[in-house]
Amino acid sequence: MSEPTHNLESNSENLGIAEPYQHLYVVIEHEEGIPVPISLEMLGEARRLMDNFNKKYSSNEKVVAVVLGDNVRHLCDDLIKSGADVVVYANHPSLRHYTNLLYTKIICQIVEDKNVAGSISPIGYENYKKPRYMFFSADNTGRHLSSTVMAQLESGLASDINKLVISDLEIRHEHKTKGQLAKYDKTLEMYRPDFSGFLWTTILCLDNRNPAIAREYHPQSCSIIPGVFEPITKEDQRTGTFIDFEPRISDEDLRVKVLSRNIIKSTIDFESCKIIVSYGRGIRDSPEENFKLIEEFAKSLNAEIGVSLPISKRPYQTKDQHLLSYMVPERVIGTSGRKVSPVVYIAIGISGAVQHIAGMKESGFVVVINPDTDAAFRDECDLFIRGRMEQVLPVLTELIKKHMLTIEKRA
Amino acid sequence: MGRYDCMPVRPLNVGVIVKLEPDFSEGNVSYNPDGTLNRAETKNILGPHSAAATLAAFYCKVKYDARVAIGTMGPPIANQALRQAQIISNADELHLYSDRIFAGADTLATAEVLRLGVSRMNNGLGADIVISGHRASDGETGQTGPQTAWKLGYPFIGNVIDFHIDQESRSIQATRFISLYGFYDVIEEIQAPLPVFISADPSYKPSFNTVSERLSLARNLNEARSKADNYEKYLQVYNSEGLGADPSFVGLPGSPTIVYKVEKIPKARAKRRVEFIDGNDAAQLETVAKKLLQLMTEVPIK
Repeated sequence: MSEPTHNLESNSENLGIAEPYQHLYVVIEHEEGIPVPISLEMLGEARRLMDNFNKKYSSNEKVVAVVLGDNVRHLCDDLIKSGADVVVYANHPSLRHYTNLLYTKIICQIVEDKNVAGSISPIGYENYKKPRYMFFSADNTGRHLSSTVMAQLESGLASDINKLVISDLEIRHEHKTKGQLAKYDKTLEMYRPDFSGFLWTTILCLDNRNPAIAREYHPQSCSIIPGVFEPITKEDQRTGTFIDFEPRISDEDLRVKVLSRNIIKSTIDFESCKIIVSYGRGIRDSPEENFKLIEEFAKSLNAEIGVSLPISKRPYQTKDQHLLSYMVPERVIGTSGRKVSPVVYIAIGISGAVQHIAGMKESGFVVVINPDTDAAFRDECDLFIRGRMEQVLPVLTELIKKHMLTIEKRA
Repeated sequence: MGRYDCMPVRPLNVGVIVKLEPDFSEGNVSYNPDGTLNRAETKNILGPHSAAATLAAFYCKVKYDARVAIGTMGPPIANQALRQAQIISNADELHLYSDRIFAGADTLATAEVLRLGVSRMNNGLGADIVISGHRASDGETGQTGPQTAWKLGYPFIGNVIDFHIDQESRSIQATRFISLYGFYDVIEEIQAPLPVFISADPSYKPSFNTVSERLSLARNLNEARSKADNYEKYLQVYNSEGLGADPSFVGLPGSPTIVYKVEKIPKARAKRRVEFIDGNDAAQLETVAKKLLQLMTEVPIK
């Protein structure tokens, strides 16, 4: 509900007076006690941001990892070594598997708890209300969890972020500031690539300073794309605080039950193949014919076939069932699909949107086939074959077959 | 044991929230020279994820003889999405939540409108199950569904690929598909009492197996076509006042977030040293073929 916006940001000049919104909380995801990679990536970025923050504002706000599960105490050391100052963990048999309802409630209990805030930092925690910033993963779980947690905390959320900056901004906004210029200190600029991958939108979560609709919007939070931020190198000597949080669970909170949970292996095996051949909207002139060339080429290299995101939305009218079976979300390489790192990655008719690059940049050797040498991919590849796939692929496939034969004869 | 109630099974009320989106299919989508979407030239349709949600409602219609209401927030043109959704689902009610003060809403302020809308669905009875798509193709945040669920007080179950309702115990059993991006994938079975909010996974596809289901399917498909011909008859339009919205919780005032700036993503500093090959030069392609084979054969296959 609306509350007066008294001295909300003005106290950056009055160091020592505790602010109602403090620290950066990172919601950790793990699978049966092993943190998923994005968790450590978020901690790495949180560490870098808060180190700069504390230096710039002469403050001592913390990176707080929040982890829920059954018997997760053993995770805590790893999270500290990976950049957290504090780990708040909640152990309970009911928390073994994620359910949105229960996890949302417990996370909100933790981040709104004054005593927890006091254990994180004893200075002036009496004023503590909510986190200053919060990070979640932009995967299936974190995307939903971030949404419901922010609906409960009634604050703003930006999704699929790949760059973060903290700065003091002067804002003039019709509603937020009633058209007046206002200073918003310690604002988290959240950069989000749009669906095309070529535009970057900066999202801010700002309190309403307009007296008619005054409201405080904290934490400033976002979900972060897996695979874009670097984890820090683990430091064994790093120490931190562990807080054992006793979750308050009612029968109502347990009404969603996980009956079973099975790990499945994808039928498409990107992990054990050495070469991946991916194609994108460049096949558009004659999808069926071009796909035949791509398939033949991939076969000659014993490669698995991937696609860019637009292809999975089946942008072409075709009755070719075989082709359609290769235009599916399971084959998408990128932030909306799989992250791969083969020995060789070959991108055919793909422009190189940031989301796609994030899914393949760890590949060993990258080859691009594209008529447009200005395509964004040119900065992310080792070989750029300038040409149309209709011309390049038949020749290249024949050459590979020919040389393959020689290799086999020699052996 | 031997449960037999004189009371008939309570009818199932379903609500769906959908969105009118740019049509990304070839021939309809238009891109600017810099690779960004040309919104003026691109047609709008019921988004594919909204269509999956609508199919899930149709499944309830065919299998459980449910009453279906479909709602969307948007300008009057969003009617198109409702009409398309009615063809898919044979919906009984179409809701358009439209008001100039809703414009510019972020996901939280949108969820507030949808929460109020759902409570007016099905003659004011609301919904036992609310279904949304996975995420919109243009906004792509995937936040609106779960936030609407939370505001309704319904548990949210995401990425549903299959579900069944037990009308007697008034509960749902749902199968979820969870991708952990390079870790592995998980299939999960969930059980929860109604009411619930589910999001249909993009891969959701209903199946109708028994004879009675197939008969019901045929009847509903016919009905859907004739209903959609007169879709205005089923349309209810609500403005902010009609929904009883608090103006400070919707539109721009109710949105914690703003778009501060939009810019082209600068080209990343080249991490690799690119060598250009002329695709029409067979001799150059030969070196490529040799290089690829060398990389392929030197490293042992896992």
